[in-house]
Amino acid sequence: MICFEGVTLRYPGQRTPAIRSLSLTAEAGAVTAIVGPNGSGKSTLVRALLGRVTPEQGTVVIDGASLAELSRRDVARRMAVVTQREEPVFPMLVRDFIALGRFAHGSLWAGPTAGDVAVAESSAARAGVTPFMDRRTDTLSGGEWQRVRIARALAQQGKALVLDEPTTFLDIAHEMSVFELLDELAHDGIAVLLVSHQLNLVARFADRIALLHAGEAVAIGSPSDVMRGDVLERVYEWPLVVSRDPAVGAPMLVPLRRRSPR
Amino acid sequence: MNFRHAATAFLTISLSLMACTRDVPRGASTTVRVDDFGDTIPATLRAQRIVSLSPVTTELLFALGAGARVVGRTHWDSYPAEARAVPDVGNGMQPNIEAVLGARPDVVVLYASASNRAAARRLRQAGITTISLHQDRTEDFRRAAMFLGLAIGDSARGAILGDRVLGEIRAVRTSSTSLNGVAGKHPTIFWHIWDAPVFTIGSASYLDELVAAAGAQNIFGDRAESAPQVSLEEVVKRDPDYVLAGPTSAPKLLVNPAWRAVRAVREGRVLVVDTALVGRPGIRMGEAARRIRALLDSAAAASPRTTNAVKR
Amino acid sequence: MRARAWLLLFAALVVAALAAIAFGSVSLSLAAVVDALMGRGAPDAEMIVRVLRLPRVALGIAVGAGLGMSGAALQANLRNALAEPYLLGVSGGAAVGAVLATSLSVTGPGLVPLAAFAGAVVAVMAVLAVAQAARGPGDARVLVMAGVVVGAFANAAIMIVMSNVPDQTVRSALWWMMGSLGDASWAGVRWTAGYVALGGTLLMVYGREIEILALGDEPALALGVDTVSATRRIFLISSLLAAVTVAAAGLVGFVGLVVPAIARSLGARTVRGTILASAITGATLVVAADLAARVARAPAELPLGAVTALVGVPFFLLRLRRMS
Repeated sequence: MICFEGVTLRYPGQRTPAIRSLSLTAEAGAVTAIVGPNGSGKSTLVRALLGRVTPEQGTVVIDGASLAELSRRDVARRMAVVTQREEPVFPMLVRDFIALGRFAHGSLWAGPTAGDVAVAESSAARAGVTPFMDRRTDTLSGGEWQRVRIARALAQQGKALVLDEPTTFLDIAHEMSVFELLDELAHDGIAVLLVSHQLNLVARFADRIALLHAGEAVAIGSPSDVMRGDVLERVYEWPLVVSRDPAVGAPMLVPLRRRSPR
Repeated sequence: MNFRHAATAFLTISLSLMACTRDVPRGASTTVRVDDFGDTIPATLRAQRIVSLSPVTTELLFALGAGARVVGRTHWDSYPAEARAVPDVGNGMQPNIEAVLGARPDVVVLYASASNRAAARRLRQAGITTISLHQDRTEDFRRAAMFLGLAIGDSARGAILGDRVLGEIRAVRTSSTSLNGVAGKHPTIFWHIWDAPVFTIGSASYLDELVAAAGAQNIFGDRAESAPQVSLEEVVKRDPDYVLAGPTSAPKLLVNPAWRAVRAVREGRVLVVDTALVGRPGIRMGEAARRIRALLDSAAAASPRTTNAVKR
Repeated sequence: MRARAWLLLFAALVVAALAAIAFGSVSLSLAAVVDALMGRGAPDAEMIVRVLRLPRVALGIAVGAGLGMSGAALQANLRNALAEPYLLGVSGGAAVGAVLATSLSVTGPGLVPLAAFAGAVVAVMAVLAVAQAARGPGDARVLVMAGVVVGAFANAAIMIVMSNVPDQTVRSALWWMMGSLGDASWAGVRWTAGYVALGGTLLMVYGREIEILALGDEPALALGVDTVSATRRIFLISSLLAAVTVAAAGLVGFVGLVVPAIARSLGARTVRGTILASAITGATLVVAADLAARVARAPAELPLGAVTALVGVPFFLLRLRRMS
């Protein structure tokens, strides 16, 4: 669904590329997670999907079409991206905010059609934000805001959904509900591509994990394959152990202390 | 000696005294010594090198026969023709002190506006005699002529020149009154100085005096300033018989849609005045008054029925 | 925005327009004004009302609407509630054009407005070129900085020209830069209203795109907007719209800044709603400011830009209070 084929990404004026010859596929109906330390190039991949960085080498393919040949509108109909942060300067109603997700489908200057309204409402229901449809975006809490943004992404009705650190400001309940939603979406056939720091939750929910380090994919595979103590310790440069979570059975990472306790 | 002789003698002596003091300029002592900034002019002054920082005083100095002593003029002084040969020292308002000093003058003549006070002070500090003069009304011209006459050591000539020009203006006024016959048949005029915003002449301006001498009435003569700002609506309301404007402004007024609200503009009664001639209260004011009078006469002759009775 | 708010806006505009027709530096009785409008009044009253006041009110509506819409679009496009149409080269370029035309003293009724418009266009293109050279033609911050650079250059050019011309020209240029509806004519009103309507319609057409641009660069890309070309397009339309108003009335500051904020405080939420509300509010503001300029120190006329700038002062104070 989303394929990076030997992609090298370099920011203008930088000597070393941010991503080097990466090949990765996010399949439909699966949750694919990209993890790695800060500066490993995770967000650069998202920027490549947004068209802000053009591959120096290799191609990005979305739903069978090369990204370079698609207009932004075409891309938006196939794939929705929820960026790390979004801070609107001017508040709007949540319902209007979600309706913006239909932009790529409608004509340039017509307002939302009845069909658009229906899609927006069902997306809101899916993301669990129906109760605050008539609130203003500047009155939402961090968790509510995140879910409203996901609702808007769902309204794009793309076959792929990309999220960059979607649970940063969320508490346990909200974080779990987002991951469960992503799981459901994958179950419905959507290709979910997720960048996250939450290794333990990723280990539980992702079908495939790509571990990045300094712009290269160090390991790509199932959680059990990738979540190995020696690899992770080398990549994150921090002592840790990986055990099996007794309650859930997924690999669980526990970072160790470097300094002895007081 | 009887009473009649004494009375005659007394009358003669007092009339003679009045005649002598009749020409004393306003606000001064009997001998002209203190200029319009309050600076004193030494009585023994015999200026040899004069920088004149206004067109009026430049042409005055040439008319007084002292053109050879003028060693600096402003950029805008172009009359008489000989004045152009004098070195240009820049602006008359907020002058370039360095340039003025570079001409090595012993006297500098300035226009007495508030913005020139600092310049006058600095020149005085440099040891130069400054003469700062108002130039708003015809009377100021006579005062200026007397000051400059004094400065070059020929006060008699200054007095004669001042009297002559004022006399010429008076002559125009006399002829206007007698020719216009019945009192109250003066044409009303609007004098256009500027239109963004609209500026005109008020009673403190020499132009108001020249207009009156030419037998017309300035519709804004009730304003006390010399160049009041007015609104176009007010001009429309006061409905002048004629609009007087300079050669570049007049054609613009005739095509300006907003000015068509003024009846005189609509009916083409815009008279072109020679701004070079009337533009300053200098030695050619008499000629300027005559020219304005001639303009009005020929305009009245072209369409005699357009002169209105005085409105107020 | 609720229907009641729209009604209020319209009513305010109508009241302002009527007041601007009824009042001026010459006081006319209400009956005289009505007679003049009907065509059966005294000749001087008719001239004052129909030739002087009506075109001014009409031009004020066009100029105010243009500036309001331009400001609303730019603030959303640049994601900055303090953006205003003059920020991006329009005022500097137009002033250079007008000052040059004035100093040449060539007679021609439409010369200064034409030169002002040309100057504004050149400046706007310069801003885009500078932003392009900085590799950020679609980046709001780069555009703003390019606008500051071009504006500073324009100011220097104006100062150089003004120091070399006679006093009359300086006064002329200054009066133009302070803004005035005094040159209003029906022909000018038609041109200005036509172009303002065109620019406004374009902005409304692109309204949803502007709405998405206002979310931020990356969210806009994610939703399917080509941000570089869209930002450039909206910037061009808004700036040219502002340039048209500058050509007609000189520099009337603060309208593009204050009016969208008023529209938002009245409840406008979508960009299209804000643009429309800003058009009406801007028209009301300029007409009312022109009325104040004509009567506050009658018969002298205050510069229009001074009156609108005075409106800006309490606006900023209120914002400061709200921020702290």
